[in-house]
Amino acid sequence: MIKNKNKRKREKVDVIANVIIVFFAILNLFPLYWLFTSSLKNSSDVIKMPPDWFPKTMTFSNYVDVFQNQPALKWTLNSIMVSLITTIAVIVFSSMAAYAFSKLKFKGKNFIYIIFISSLMIPKEVMIVPLFRIIQDFGMVNSLNGMIWPNVATAFGVFLLKGFFDAIPDSLREAARIDGAGEFYTFYKIIMPIVKPGIGALFILNFVQVWNDYLWQLVVGQDANSKTLMVGIASLMQDLNPNFAYKMAGATVAAVPMLLIFIFFQKYFTKGLAIGAEKG
Amino acid sequence: MKFNKHVLKENLTGYMFIAPQLILFLVFLVYPIIEGIRLSLYRINYTNEVFVGFENYEKLFQNPVFIKATFNTVFFVICIVALTVIFALFVSAAIFDKNAKYVSFIRGAYYIPVMVSMVVMSMIWSFLLNPANGLIPYIAQQMEMSTINFLGNPKTVLPVIIFVTFATNVGQAIILYIASMIGVPKELFEAAEVDGASRMTIIFKILIPLVKPTTIYIIIMNIIAVLKIFVVIQLLTGGGPNNSSNTLMWFLYNNAFKFNQLGIASAVGVIMFLITLVLSVPQLRAMFKKE
Repeated sequence: MIKNKNKRKREKVDVIANVIIVFFAILNLFPLYWLFTSSLKNSSDVIKMPPDWFPKTMTFSNYVDVFQNQPALKWTLNSIMVSLITTIAVIVFSSMAAYAFSKLKFKGKNFIYIIFISSLMIPKEVMIVPLFRIIQDFGMVNSLNGMIWPNVATAFGVFLLKGFFDAIPDSLREAARIDGAGEFYTFYKIIMPIVKPGIGALFILNFVQVWNDYLWQLVVGQDANSKTLMVGIASLMQDLNPNFAYKMAGATVAAVPMLLIFIFFQKYFTKGLAIGAEKG
Repeated sequence: MKFNKHVLKENLTGYMFIAPQLILFLVFLVYPIIEGIRLSLYRINYTNEVFVGFENYEKLFQNPVFIKATFNTVFFVICIVALTVIFALFVSAAIFDKNAKYVSFIRGAYYIPVMVSMVVMSMIWSFLLNPANGLIPYIAQQMEMSTINFLGNPKTVLPVIIFVTFATNVGQAIILYIASMIGVPKELFEAAEVDGASRMTIIFKILIPLVKPTTIYIIIMNIIAVLKIFVVIQLLTGGGPNNSSNTLMWFLYNNAFKFNQLGIASAVGVIMFLITLVLSVPQLRAMFKKE
């Protein structure tokens, strides 16, 4: 009897908490609902008060405007290029380095690894002035290269992948060595396929992070054609054009790829993020 | 002789494997830090650099805008981090042991704003809060509130920025907490339940202490993320009205790329660098303990 009563009371607190949580979850999604529906309204309906909670007439003209009056297609391509090349370079370089830190013996290994790890928390934005001067010296202002390489320099990938390499027994590498395989062959053909889940998590996390990166891309891509999608659509906001539906259409274009990635790769996020925290 | 050759070769292979990462690391991370410290000690006019010692730092601490920006940044950090940790703990503790579909719905709902990024979310909020034709001022007007221009009023601008940043980013903390709470062995809860402990007791006495490492990680990551708060300032307020929402990163950016005060901007960067370095010490210590 007593136990039953206790249980019912416990459930009550729990139910109230969950009702609040669901309510806020829906409320939290409302701005996105407002974004999508506003982008489908015409320029007068979008600012009408009281508002149409659901668009009465739907139009795609704002999207056509974004792609015709602005180099939005170019911005999208730039974003894809920057995110993809950065991510591939991160995977190649950091898997090599992580393999070395995990499996090879060389002088100064621990010291260099400690330096790498110590840099993890430092945001590159605080060093934006000297970083920009370096990019200037390399002639990389307004070029995608200027956006890509500073992001490849971060050690997060090394840190994430080293855990996966550590989990592989050394005997596997030694067996390959005895069979006469070179170090690079062993790394590429034997060890890499085993850490695929780690590579997958790193790919998704890094791609999204670069896609959503803003300040550095804003600084490097100054002329209209070298902007990335995030920087480009944010510049619509400062536009004198008073049509908010058009600005919301731009924002939707930038948001949709990430929504799709999240829906298809949700598992990788929950895993990848948790790995970062667990190791920490 | 043969042994030495072998060691040499093994060393070389190691260096070859880390070389690409190490070179980029030195060029784009280590060198900028050293160069940033050097620049902060110079007065810079285009190509002309004059060594001035700590003059840039002295100027900063006499500049009321910098003081305001520092104060705002610290205020944002405290409020946003506290809100994030409390709310994320509340959500995760209430849902982590429910069925998987429900958990992934809630997690998704809170994480989607993180995915679509601060840029897109700031644009939406800027539209929602627009005093001329935004939804929120309209509702405020219907409710006959005294203020409808929330971003134009120095009293309301900080809470609005805190709320927008918190609402956009809390999903990250929720994902981390849920992952960590699901990992807690169920026997611990069952044992406590048998002893007649209520859910609240279990949460406060068992669950929250057990996820403490996650809490520390979330706190540090969020402090550093809020410290460099920029996008929401640029897109919602531009630091205004009258610098009342200025922050360190916004101040740095403007000095570097609008006012061409590279020495001053570098000094702000060095100060922020030192803060992040100090903040990351506990996290790094925990990491090395595990190594």
